[in-house]
Amino acid sequence: MVITARWALGVSLFFILGCLAVLWETRDIPPGTFEPLGSAPVPQATALLIIALSLAVAARSWRTLTGGERDPAPEIVDEARPLDAVVTGVLTVIYVAVLGAHVLDFAPLTALYLILTIGYLIRFRVRGLVLAALVAVIMGWGAAFVFTRLFVVDLPGL
Amino acid sequence: MIDGLTGALLHIFTPMPFLYVLIGTVAGIVVGAIPGLSGAMLIALTLPLTFYMEPVNAIVLLIGMYVGSITGGLITATLLRMPGTPSNVVTTFDGHPMAMAGRPGRALGLGIAASFMGGLVSWVVLLFLAKPLSIWATRFGPFEYFTLILMAMVLIASVSQGSMVKGLVAGFLGMLVSMPGVDPSAGQPRLTWDWYVLNGGLKLLPVLIGIFAVSQVIGDIVTIGKRMERVETRVSGMLMTVKDWRDQMWNMLRSSAIGTAVGILPGIGASIGSIMAYTTARNMSRRPEEYGKGSEEGIVASEAANNATIGGALIPLIAMGIPGSVIDAILIGALMIHSITPGPTLFITNSDVVWAMIAAALVANVVMYVVMMGSVRVVARIMYVPRTFMLPVILVFCVIGTFALDNTMFDVWVMLAFGVLGFAMEKGGFPLGPFVIGFVLAPLMEEKLRSGLMMTAGSIEPIFTRPLPLIFLLISILLLLLPAFRAWRVARSARRRLDARADGASS
Repeated sequence: MVITARWALGVSLFFILGCLAVLWETRDIPPGTFEPLGSAPVPQATALLIIALSLAVAARSWRTLTGGERDPAPEIVDEARPLDAVVTGVLTVIYVAVLGAHVLDFAPLTALYLILTIGYLIRFRVRGLVLAALVAVIMGWGAAFVFTRLFVVDLPGL
Repeated sequence: MIDGLTGALLHIFTPMPFLYVLIGTVAGIVVGAIPGLSGAMLIALTLPLTFYMEPVNAIVLLIGMYVGSITGGLITATLLRMPGTPSNVVTTFDGHPMAMAGRPGRALGLGIAASFMGGLVSWVVLLFLAKPLSIWATRFGPFEYFTLILMAMVLIASVSQGSMVKGLVAGFLGMLVSMPGVDPSAGQPRLTWDWYVLNGGLKLLPVLIGIFAVSQVIGDIVTIGKRMERVETRVSGMLMTVKDWRDQMWNMLRSSAIGTAVGILPGIGASIGSIMAYTTARNMSRRPEEYGKGSEEGIVASEAANNATIGGALIPLIAMGIPGSVIDAILIGALMIHSITPGPTLFITNSDVVWAMIAAALVANVVMYVVMMGSVRVVARIMYVPRTFMLPVILVFCVIGTFALDNTMFDVWVMLAFGVLGFAMEKGGFPLGPFVIGFVLAPLMEEKLRSGLMMTAGSIEPIFTRPLPLIFLLISILLLLLPAFRAWRVARSARRRLDARADGASS
């Protein structure tokens, strides 16, 4: 409950900031010429509604956080591995950035990404790494073959 | 109707379309059976592969996945008490206790048979209701459409998990996210921040894959340390006898009817359908005390209803272009990718696709029954695939699928950004269903509002003077007020209890 409230507070504040940016961006849009509404009112009204509702969510979350409630399920928190998600996220961002920079071809880069990511998630256990390498090679070169030859889909990379 | 259906069935039974239905259904069952993966995720990831397919083949493949994924979750729900998809949560209540009591085959057999029956009943309703409804919907003017979409938005927000306010925030956010780019009504760029890549707006596929697939992968990685208990189970005695069918028939039909009706309501998916059918079955049962401890009726009610929502949800999609569930919103995206505009004229402009959808729902249901009965043991093993290997591979598929849309890395970044947003929203209790429905429906909603206002020189009077817009508006207001009314009633009864206790103490 407290964890959800914390996230809800953060997310609703983020939404409010985003909607303020939307209101700022739509301020110069001219009114409609051939129709009564124009391009700005709908996004503006939507943004205002989100701000109002997000404020309500934020207020309720704040009340929960300051109400002295405690997390009811510590065992779930113990099992959570947020660092794994962060590391996987960073590796994925690097993978996408390198793909976009056209530095390496799709197949070797994908294989490298998979070995690193799977390897990290299995804590680089040697037995698992062999399997990870196998999966990486199959996914790298196999996917490149299947997508470019069978499905005729372009792949990022070189 | 007979001609259209026969033609579509004959087409589906030719080798390639049938292969697509088979592949789709099996893939759906497998993905549905793996906890953490969902049908929405599978369909969103498969969309890019369908770009170069015939539209009919693409749609039958996706319908097969839809049917398979709803049913596949039954296996894990029963054997592991982990619902493969959210729609199977209710099945865990009785399926798992029955499996633990040494009757997993019986639990699975009942669930599969009920799923089949649910799919069949809703298919019959789909067959007979879709066309008349679409003919009726052709009379809708812009204000009818605008208020109908408004009602759909409020409806999905009001029944989505968690608070209604969060559902509304998610829905409106989905609408807002669909607005950047050149405004189609006026040709005016908006919300682009002078960034040319945003002139085309945010595309459906990167947003969908991000919200459904990437956010789920992030969530799964966070909980990757959670150990899955391996349960050794004998899966035998799955086939239902004639007596079983007779005993459960009324329950199956009632639950299927509930599931179909819930499916027809715009925006509500299988989870709500199965909960409502389960509650009704328990309230009407002669043995309500058995519910939650391995009741056969409970499994049948839940599974019949969640599969029945498929046919029900396809009705507003085909007839009006309004998604009946989140997966239907993705199917609308699939139709649009193939240059097919969903809506009441679909029967006229693309009748081959519509009849293929209807026929595929039937064939996939039969294929699902045969595959589930024949291969449940094999599928049950697949659910033990280590997530440490599976999740990074899914991320690679997400990148490929998104890039394939327009060969641009911008879409991939959009996908990753929405993945993070979706994860944060889920952690904060904001449901993702309203977001997607809002994203898909907002352009249509705005277009209808603006064309309506052009017709009336800026007056919204027709909303209050025409019967349908007024009804839709009143339902929306009622749905908005309902949670407040419920809270007021709860508070009032609590106050009365307190007063009564105080009176008792003083006397």
